[in-house]
Amino acid sequence: MSVDIKVLFFGATAAEVGQRVLELSLPQNSTAASGFEVIVDQFPRLKRHKLLHALNQHYAAGDEVLRDGDELAIFTAVSGG
Amino acid sequence: MDFAELTTDLIDIGAASRRVVPPECGATVTLDGYVRQFTGERETLYLVYEAHEPMALKEMQKLIDQAKQDFAISHVGIVHRLGKLEIGETSVVISVAAPHRKAAFAACEWLIRELKRTVPIWKKEVYSDGEVWVEGEADPGQATTT
Repeated sequence: MSVDIKVLFFGATAAEVGQRVLELSLPQNSTAASGFEVIVDQFPRLKRHKLLHALNQHYAAGDEVLRDGDELAIFTAVSGG
Repeated sequence: MDFAELTTDLIDIGAASRRVVPPECGATVTLDGYVRQFTGERETLYLVYEAHEPMALKEMQKLIDQAKQDFAISHVGIVHRLGKLEIGETSVVISVAAPHRKAAFAACEWLIRELKRTVPIWKKEVYSDGEVWVEGEADPGQATTT
């Protein structure tokens, strides 16, 4: 069994991975934090940055269990204003 | 009368400022944040702003709700520009209307500080010899007090 999620990249992380959206299959019961680790391992260039992640448009605590269709966003500390 | 918006159009500061004015208020404090040409010695040609748009709108609304709880203010409007911005163009407007100005100043300062820390918007600075996505320092998980 697996869970299919959508991974979103913005700004510096989009530049590092060369794409903005990635479809990803993860083992059932994966968490936001474990999904995040899989992605960072897949794109080691991301490790050069201090990263944040958000699940379904909210900052993630990390222990949330991922469900089909979830949206995991990976980005650097914000710099708007 | 509160509003949180993202736009790729030029921001009309006066219009954004007047949109928050209700009859019980006596002052609106409006921040006009714009594109700086020189950061230290380095010259910026232009900026590009990008957002996680639905999340940015939610985070902006959270800031408005929190500010209205914590300060004696009536209304808040926030507009942030996205896309390519030339030097001197407005990137963000925050307008806070209050019965008395002191709370409006304090709330506006708190709002811009929190926006720069929590709202998922990023800025790319483009120079004559390269470009860089600016990375913030703050951890949005750590709330700052009002």
